[in-house]
Amino acid sequence: MLKTSWKYALALVCAVTLACNSGKAPAEAAMKRAEEAVAGAQTEAANLVPDDMKSLSDDMAAARATMAKGDYKTAEASAQAIQQKANDVLAKAKTKKDELTTAWGQLSDSVPKMLDAIKSRVDILSQSKKLPKGMDAARLASAKDGLAAATAGWGEAQEAYKAGKWSDAIAKGTSARDKATEVMAALGMQAGGAPAAAPAK
Amino acid sequence: MPDDKPSQGGADYTQWHEVKSGETLSKIAQQYYGDASLYPKIFEANKDTLKDPNKIRVGQKLRIP
Repeated sequence: MLKTSWKYALALVCAVTLACNSGKAPAEAAMKRAEEAVAGAQTEAANLVPDDMKSLSDDMAAARATMAKGDYKTAEASAQAIQQKANDVLAKAKTKKDELTTAWGQLSDSVPKMLDAIKSRVDILSQSKKLPKGMDAARLASAKDGLAAATAGWGEAQEAYKAGKWSDAIAKGTSARDKATEVMAALGMQAGGAPAAAPAK
Repeated sequence: MPDDKPSQGGADYTQWHEVKSGETLSKIAQQYYGDASLYPKIFEANKDTLKDPNKIRVGQKLRIP
Protein backbone atom coordinates (compact mmCIF):
# COMPACT_ATOMS: atom_id res chain seq x y z
CA MET A 1 0.00 0.00 0.00
CA LEU A 2 2.74 2.39 1.04
CA LYS A 3 4.71 1.51 -2.08
CA THR A 4 1.71 2.31 -4.26
CA SER A 5 1.25 5.68 -2.56
CA TRP A 6 4.84 6.59 -3.26
CA LYS A 7 4.30 5.79 -6.90
CA TYR A 8 1.23 8.03 -7.01
CA ALA A 9 3.11 10.80 -5.26
CA LEU A 10 6.03 10.51 -7.64
CA ALA A 11 3.70 10.52 -10.61
CA LEU A 12 1.97 13.63 -9.26
CA VAL A 13 5.27 15.46 -8.76
CA CYS A 14 6.32 14.56 -12.30
CA ALA A 15 3.00 15.73 -13.67
CA VAL A 16 3.24 19.04 -11.81
CA THR A 17 6.85 19.52 -12.88
CA LEU A 18 5.98 18.79 -16.48
CA ALA A 19 3.04 21.15 -16.36
CA CYS A 20 5.18 23.90 -14.92
CA ASN A 21 8.14 23.35 -17.21
CA SER A 22 5.89 23.26 -20.22
CA GLY A 23 5.27 27.02 -19.69
CA LYS A 24 8.86 27.86 -18.93
CA ALA A 25 10.16 28.29 -22.48
CA PRO A 26 7.51 30.78 -23.67
CA ALA A 27 7.82 32.64 -20.36
CA GLU A 28 11.59 32.89 -20.81
CA ALA A 29 11.14 34.14 -24.35
CA ALA A 30 8.62 36.74 -23.20
CA MET A 31 10.92 37.80 -20.37
CA LYS A 32 13.79 38.22 -22.81
CA ARG A 33 11.67 40.43 -25.07
CA ALA A 34 10.52 42.43 -22.05
CA GLU A 35 14.10 42.91 -20.84
CA GLU A 36 15.07 44.18 -24.30
CA ALA A 37 12.09 46.52 -24.42
CA VAL A 38 12.94 47.96 -21.00
CA ALA A 39 16.60 48.36 -21.94
CA GLY A 40 15.57 50.11 -25.17
CA ALA A 41 13.28 52.48 -23.32
CA GLN A 42 15.89 53.18 -20.64
CA THR A 43 18.23 55.01 -23.01
CA GLU A 44 15.60 57.38 -24.31
CA ALA A 45 13.22 57.74 -21.39
CA ALA A 46 15.38 57.84 -18.26
CA ASN A 47 15.96 61.61 -18.41
CA LEU A 48 12.67 62.54 -20.00
CA VAL A 49 10.11 60.54 -18.00
CA PRO A 50 12.05 59.20 -14.99
CA ASP A 51 8.96 58.28 -12.94
CA ASP A 52 7.50 56.22 -15.75
CA MET A 53 10.86 54.57 -16.33
CA LYS A 54 11.14 53.66 -12.65
CA SER A 55 7.67 52.14 -12.70
CA LEU A 56 8.66 50.10 -15.73
CA SER A 57 11.86 48.90 -14.05
CA ASP A 58 9.90 47.98 -10.93
CA ASP A 59 7.48 45.94 -13.02
CA MET A 60 10.41 44.16 -14.65
CA ALA A 61 11.91 43.33 -11.26
CA ALA A 62 8.57 41.95 -10.09
CA ALA A 63 8.28 39.82 -13.23
CA ARG A 64 11.78 38.44 -12.63
CA ALA A 65 10.79 37.52 -9.07
CA THR A 66 7.64 35.79 -10.34
CA MET A 67 9.73 33.88 -12.87
CA ALA A 68 12.18 32.83 -10.16
CA LYS A 69 9.31 31.42 -8.13
CA GLY A 70 8.39 29.22 -11.08
CA ASP A 71 5.10 30.92 -11.79
CA TYR A 72 5.75 30.97 -15.52
CA LYS A 73 2.22 31.72 -16.63
CA THR A 74 2.02 34.87 -14.52
CA ALA A 75 5.57 35.84 -15.46
CA GLU A 76 4.79 35.50 -19.15
CA ALA A 77 1.66 37.65 -18.82
CA SER A 78 3.64 40.24 -16.87
CA ALA A 79 6.41 40.23 -19.46
CA GLN A 80 3.92 40.83 -22.25
CA ALA A 81 2.35 43.69 -20.32
CA ILE A 82 5.81 45.17 -19.74
CA GLN A 83 6.56 45.15 -23.46
CA GLN A 84 3.41 47.19 -24.10
CA LYS A 85 4.20 49.50 -21.19
CA ALA A 86 7.72 50.04 -22.54
CA ASN A 87 6.22 51.15 -25.85
CA ASP A 88 3.91 53.54 -24.01
CA VAL A 89 6.81 54.96 -21.99
CA LEU A 90 8.80 55.48 -25.18
CA ALA A 91 5.87 57.28 -26.79
CA LYS A 92 5.49 59.48 -23.72
CA ALA A 93 9.21 60.22 -23.76
CA LYS A 94 8.98 61.26 -27.41
CA THR A 95 6.11 63.63 -26.65
CA LYS A 96 8.03 65.08 -23.73
CA LYS A 97 11.12 65.46 -25.90
CA ASP A 98 9.11 67.35 -28.50
CA GLU A 99 7.70 69.66 -25.82
CA LEU A 100 11.13 70.34 -24.37
CA THR A 101 12.64 70.92 -27.80
CA THR A 102 9.97 73.50 -28.57
CA ALA A 103 10.35 75.19 -25.19
CA TRP A 104 14.14 75.25 -25.44
CA GLY A 105 13.97 76.60 -28.99
CA GLN A 106 11.79 79.48 -27.81
CA LEU A 107 14.11 80.25 -24.90
CA SER A 108 17.21 80.02 -27.10
CA ASP A 109 15.60 82.41 -29.53
CA SER A 110 14.49 84.97 -26.96
CA VAL A 111 16.79 85.07 -23.94
CA PRO A 112 20.10 85.91 -25.71
CA LYS A 113 18.36 88.71 -27.63
CA MET A 114 16.85 90.08 -24.44
CA LEU A 115 20.22 89.99 -22.68
CA ASP A 116 21.89 91.74 -25.63
CA ALA A 117 19.20 94.45 -25.66
CA ILE A 118 19.51 95.02 -21.92
CA LYS A 119 23.31 95.08 -22.02
CA SER A 120 23.26 97.62 -24.83
CA ARG A 121 20.89 99.90 -22.91
CA VAL A 122 22.74 99.52 -19.63
CA ASP A 123 26.06 100.31 -21.33
CA ILE A 124 24.64 103.45 -22.93
CA LEU A 125 22.93 104.62 -19.75
CA SER A 126 26.21 104.07 -17.91
CA GLN A 127 27.79 106.62 -20.27
CA SER A 128 25.00 109.15 -19.78
CA LYS A 129 25.88 112.31 -17.90
CA LYS A 130 22.34 112.56 -16.64
CA LEU A 131 19.87 109.70 -16.51
CA PRO A 132 16.45 110.07 -18.12
CA LYS A 133 13.34 110.84 -16.12
CA GLY A 134 12.18 107.81 -14.17
CA MET A 135 15.70 106.44 -13.91
CA ASP A 136 18.24 107.03 -11.17
CA ALA A 137 21.59 105.58 -10.18
CA ALA A 138 20.04 103.05 -7.81
CA ARG A 139 17.62 101.83 -10.45
CA LEU A 140 20.41 101.53 -12.99
CA ALA A 141 22.53 99.61 -10.49
CA SER A 142 19.60 97.30 -9.83
CA ALA A 143 19.21 96.75 -13.59
CA LYS A 144 22.92 95.87 -13.84
CA ASP A 145 22.51 93.35 -11.02
CA GLY A 146 19.44 91.93 -12.73
CA LEU A 147 21.33 91.63 -16.01
CA ALA A 148 24.16 89.79 -14.24
CA ALA A 149 21.68 87.42 -12.58
CA ALA A 150 19.81 86.75 -15.82
CA THR A 151 23.07 86.18 -17.71
CA ALA A 152 24.32 83.76 -15.05
CA GLY A 153 20.95 81.99 -15.01
CA TRP A 154 21.02 81.58 -18.77
CA GLY A 155 24.54 80.18 -18.55
CA GLU A 156 23.36 77.62 -15.99
CA ALA A 157 20.42 76.71 -18.23
CA GLN A 158 22.77 76.06 -21.13
CA GLU A 159 25.02 73.92 -18.94
CA ALA A 160 22.03 71.89 -17.77
CA TYR A 161 20.93 71.43 -21.36
CA LYS A 162 24.36 70.22 -22.41
CA ALA A 163 24.32 67.78 -19.48
CA GLY A 164 21.03 66.33 -20.72
CA LYS A 165 19.06 67.76 -17.77
CA TRP A 166 16.41 69.15 -20.06
CA SER A 167 13.65 69.88 -17.56
CA ASP A 168 16.17 71.65 -15.34
CA ALA A 169 17.44 73.60 -18.36
CA ILE A 170 13.92 74.74 -19.23
CA ALA A 171 13.25 75.79 -15.62
CA LYS A 172 16.49 77.76 -15.37
CA GLY A 173 16.02 79.27 -18.83
CA THR A 174 12.48 80.34 -17.99
CA SER A 175 13.70 81.92 -14.78
CA ALA A 176 16.40 83.81 -16.72
CA ARG A 177 13.81 85.00 -19.24
CA ASP A 178 11.51 86.20 -16.44
CA LYS A 179 14.38 88.09 -14.85
CA ALA A 180 15.31 89.67 -18.18
CA THR A 181 11.68 90.70 -18.73
CA GLU A 182 11.65 92.31 -15.29
CA VAL A 183 14.86 94.24 -16.02
CA MET A 184 13.58 95.40 -19.41
CA ALA A 185 10.45 96.72 -17.76
CA ALA A 186 12.51 98.51 -15.10
CA LEU A 187 14.56 100.15 -17.85
CA GLY A 188 11.43 101.25 -19.69
CA MET A 189 12.23 98.97 -22.61
CA GLN A 190 9.20 97.65 -24.38
CA ALA A 191 9.90 94.36 -26.11
CA GLY A 192 8.49 93.58 -29.50
CA GLY A 193 8.52 94.81 -33.05
CA ALA A 194 6.00 97.59 -32.64
CA PRO A 195 7.34 101.07 -32.00
CA ALA A 196 7.56 101.53 -28.26
CA ALA A 197 6.21 104.33 -26.20
CA ALA A 198 8.95 106.67 -25.08
CA PRO A 199 9.72 107.22 -21.41
CA ALA A 200 7.90 110.10 -19.78
CA LYS A 201 9.42 113.46 -20.70
CA MET B 1 18.94 65.22 -26.56
CA PRO B 2 16.40 67.65 -28.03
CA ASP B 3 17.57 69.36 -31.19
CA ASP B 4 19.35 72.60 -30.47
CA LYS B 5 17.67 74.59 -33.20
CA PRO B 6 16.47 78.10 -32.47
CA SER B 7 13.14 78.80 -34.09
CA GLN B 8 13.23 80.67 -37.34
CA GLY B 9 12.27 84.33 -37.42
CA GLY B 10 12.10 84.79 -33.71
CA ALA B 11 11.11 87.45 -31.27
CA ASP B 12 12.24 91.03 -31.65
CA TYR B 13 13.44 92.71 -28.49
CA THR B 14 14.42 95.93 -30.16
CA GLN B 15 12.85 99.07 -28.78
CA TRP B 16 11.54 101.32 -31.53
CA HIS B 17 10.74 105.01 -31.65
CA GLU B 18 8.52 106.65 -34.22
CA VAL B 19 9.80 110.10 -35.10
CA LYS B 20 7.42 112.93 -34.38
CA SER B 21 7.36 116.43 -35.76
CA GLY B 22 10.18 118.60 -34.43
CA GLU B 23 12.27 115.72 -33.10
CA THR B 24 15.98 115.30 -33.70
CA LEU B 25 18.29 112.44 -32.81
CA SER B 26 19.63 114.57 -29.98
CA LYS B 27 16.15 115.08 -28.56
CA ILE B 28 15.41 111.39 -28.85
CA ALA B 29 18.69 110.55 -27.13
CA GLN B 30 17.81 113.03 -24.39
CA GLN B 31 14.45 111.36 -24.00
CA TYR B 32 15.74 107.78 -23.73
CA TYR B 33 19.19 108.27 -22.24
CA GLY B 34 18.91 111.59 -20.45
CA ASP B 35 21.90 112.81 -22.47
CA ALA B 36 21.56 114.42 -25.92
CA SER B 37 25.22 113.87 -26.67
CA LEU B 38 24.57 110.14 -26.93
CA TYR B 39 22.65 110.58 -30.20
CA PRO B 40 25.42 108.77 -32.19
CA LYS B 41 24.33 105.54 -30.45
CA ILE B 42 20.93 105.84 -32.12
CA PHE B 43 22.49 106.88 -35.41
CA GLU B 44 24.82 103.86 -35.41
CA ALA B 45 21.93 101.51 -34.66
CA ASN B 46 19.99 102.86 -37.63
CA LYS B 47 22.72 103.22 -40.22
CA ASP B 48 20.83 100.93 -42.54
CA THR B 49 18.15 103.59 -42.93
CA LEU B 50 19.91 106.80 -41.86
CA LYS B 51 22.67 108.33 -43.94
CA ASP B 52 22.85 111.62 -42.08
CA PRO B 53 22.12 112.06 -38.37
CA ASN B 54 20.60 115.44 -39.13
CA LYS B 55 18.08 114.03 -41.56
CA ILE B 56 15.26 112.08 -39.99
CA ARG B 57 11.69 112.23 -41.10
CA VAL B 58 8.38 112.21 -39.29
CA GLY B 59 6.95 108.71 -39.02
CA GLN B 60 10.32 107.06 -39.42
CA LYS B 61 10.85 104.18 -37.01
CA LEU B 62 14.19 104.16 -35.28
CA ARG B 63 15.84 101.45 -33.22
CA ILE B 64 16.72 102.58 -29.73
CA PRO B 65 19.68 100.49 -28.56
